[in-house]
Amino acid sequence: MRKFFVLLLGLLMCASAVNARTLKIGMSSDARSMDPYFHNETATNSMLSNIFEGLTYFDKDLNVYPVLAKSWKVVGENTWEFKLRKGVKFHNGNDFNADDVIFSIDRIKNWGKSGFKSKVNMIKSFDKIDDYTVRITTKGPYPILLRKLSYVKMLDAEYCRDKDAAFLGLNPVGTGPFKFVAWRKGESLTLTANKDYWRAQPFYSDVIFKPLTNNATRVAAALSGEVDIIDRIPVMDVQRIKKSSKLNFFMQPGLRLIYLQMDQGRLETPYVKGKNPFLDVRVRQAIYLGINEDSIVKHIMKGFAVPAGQFNPEVVFGYDKSIKRPAYNAVEAKKLLAKAGYPNGFEVTLDAPNNRYVNDAQIAQAIASSLSRIGIKVKVNALPKATFFPKTDRLDTSFFLIGWASTDGDSSSFLDGITHTYDKEAGYGRYNRGRYSNAQVDELIEKAGVTIDEKERLGYLIEAQRIALVEDMSVIPLHYQVDLYASGKNIKFTPRTDSHMYVYDMK
Amino acid sequence: MSVISFIVFFIMYKAGDPVELLLPPDATHQEVVQMRAYLGLDKPFTTQYAIFVKNALKGDIGNSYIYGQPAVDIVLERFPATLELAFLAMFFSIILGIPMGVIASVKPKSILSRSIMFFSLAGISIPVFWTGMVFVLICSVYLGVLPSSGRGEVLFFTSAFTWDGIKHLIMPVITLTLFQLALIIRLTRTGMMEVLMQDYIKLAKAKGLPNRVVIYYHALKNTLIPVITVIGIQFGQLIAFTIVTETIFAWPGTGKLIIDSIQNLDRPIVVAYLLMVSFIFVIINFMVDVIYTFVDPRVRVK
Repeated sequence: MRKFFVLLLGLLMCASAVNARTLKIGMSSDARSMDPYFHNETATNSMLSNIFEGLTYFDKDLNVYPVLAKSWKVVGENTWEFKLRKGVKFHNGNDFNADDVIFSIDRIKNWGKSGFKSKVNMIKSFDKIDDYTVRITTKGPYPILLRKLSYVKMLDAEYCRDKDAAFLGLNPVGTGPFKFVAWRKGESLTLTANKDYWRAQPFYSDVIFKPLTNNATRVAAALSGEVDIIDRIPVMDVQRIKKSSKLNFFMQPGLRLIYLQMDQGRLETPYVKGKNPFLDVRVRQAIYLGINEDSIVKHIMKGFAVPAGQFNPEVVFGYDKSIKRPAYNAVEAKKLLAKAGYPNGFEVTLDAPNNRYVNDAQIAQAIASSLSRIGIKVKVNALPKATFFPKTDRLDTSFFLIGWASTDGDSSSFLDGITHTYDKEAGYGRYNRGRYSNAQVDELIEKAGVTIDEKERLGYLIEAQRIALVEDMSVIPLHYQVDLYASGKNIKFTPRTDSHMYVYDMK
Repeated sequence: MSVISFIVFFIMYKAGDPVELLLPPDATHQEVVQMRAYLGLDKPFTTQYAIFVKNALKGDIGNSYIYGQPAVDIVLERFPATLELAFLAMFFSIILGIPMGVIASVKPKSILSRSIMFFSLAGISIPVFWTGMVFVLICSVYLGVLPSSGRGEVLFFTSAFTWDGIKHLIMPVITLTLFQLALIIRLTRTGMMEVLMQDYIKLAKAKGLPNRVVIYYHALKNTLIPVITVIGIQFGQLIAFTIVTETIFAWPGTGKLIIDSIQNLDRPIVVAYLLMVSFIFVIINFMVDVIYTFVDPRVRVK
């Protein structure tokens, strides 16, 4: 009997030794839920991308590729037909088929707490044709459907149907390369390889995500080898990471643009005495020229940001190669101000969050000192995000610093949300908190929204941006944030543009 | 406690709108309106509070906006981790602090007393986040002997029963202990020095009682009342404010939870947490009163 146990133990140890590779990842924040439709928030999406899969997904440069859909074609004017992959199993052993797709789209669209409704609000109807064919009809031509569908992670209809939301928020069942093992909130999320995965087995047999929210702790854990990968290295610790013989350092240009917007919708604006100076395009252009962005990137971001001359970085569809950021020119800026009738500048308050973007409050301070040189006296009002966002939403601001990331990889995200005239009914311009409005631009944005032909569409997107940026200066781009990572030297890690920690691609 | 719930509720209500933080920036207006209605945030303040009180009396404080789980469950899940740190830190501070304080008071000029006092001065003045980070740097990064973060293996709600758990506990507990220890040393010493001047101590000595009995029985007992009071207050503080230590060591306790929840305006969690902490404060105060009666018969009610 004892021999038997010894043997058994030995076997177990061998078995675990053969393919036991555990990857430990230190994350700057914890997941919020194990329900993929609850919050559209990067850290949660990032971790869940290992458990759940959609019909489509992004590669590291935001190109769409088929995952649970095998192929698709456009069959009617606004109807797409998707052929589903056969032989895919959920982690509980159930087969993946058209019923699950129908259930998932229905839940993400209609569940009260869904944070992803905007991803599917253009979908009018979705029907099962047979067990492995689904048709999706959109409200109009909808070129970016494939991108939006990457957010619709597939849930098992049989499993989910009779469970309540609180249970599903703790017990995820997907089709992804890794299965859920345990989630100790604030401490660890443990996953193990899915033995029945439809592609080749993942390289790592186990994955542990550890939320290490304190920057110094996260860096220390990487330096001591307790975790293999960390995200969001604070800029002041980059040198230590680079000097370490055990770690590789990665810098991945991100999607998030940090920009300024000003009140362009009212004759008088709350934080400037007299008439609203921002209504004059020359004032807006003067501010653009009068901000020494290179110095902000160098001194405040320590070089870990990219000066921006457009709404989106180059990886995003709709980028315009011909638009460059003009060089800092305080003399020219002063001239423009004088022409606009403000030879001595004016006074204004700049609202900025202080815990949302990298060094957000310091950037605002630097802008204030930059603009003081062209005569504009800027008072910085830095607020916690919980106060800042509602304040700007109420339009209780004249001039503010904010950020946007076109996470779909398509510039329509920025144009719809910030450039288009505010339109509550049609769902445009929710973040257009400066109330910029140009009918010609609106028309181009709307045309781009219903054009399937990529080349024609690109033309509309580029033209809309050109007018809104170069001619109208509707917002003032500052820089794109950069994601900083460190990983152990023995790990093949490639950062992704969407910042997901997709372990299946790591070795 | 109802006063506390009202104040917290009101402050969180005034602080801002959580819906802005819950939904992604590209959410539509309809979504915002729906979400606000779903969470009941579209109603006026008094109605919201009335609904809260009605449910709270049934034991339901509501679901967390961020996690979607019942707020009480989330707080309770994290409480053992915080209590564990607080208990251990207090335990070590008491068993080390009182004897060290006594030693420092009896022979204030000796080298031992001086080094104890120097240590306690350092313990009081060096900020916790600094000691914590230095520990991590030395023990984890350079020596690699202790893990820098997390709780390790947990058995019966605590990590004190497994070797892995103990390794995780060492640094956070020492970091937390230092300040409390220093405080208790100083309190005990001052109290003792005062008591040792009293006439009844001189009398006891004159009676020919051994020095040890005089110090540890007659003098210490009379010093303990203020010390116990402060220990009670400090213990409450430890439970409520281990935030810094928990953040440095990524300790999954309530301190970290409450900071995140305040930043995200997760009202149900903040309310649940503060109600629980105020309840614990009441319990601790009660226990302190009970202990008084043991130490000092004069306090007993006739």
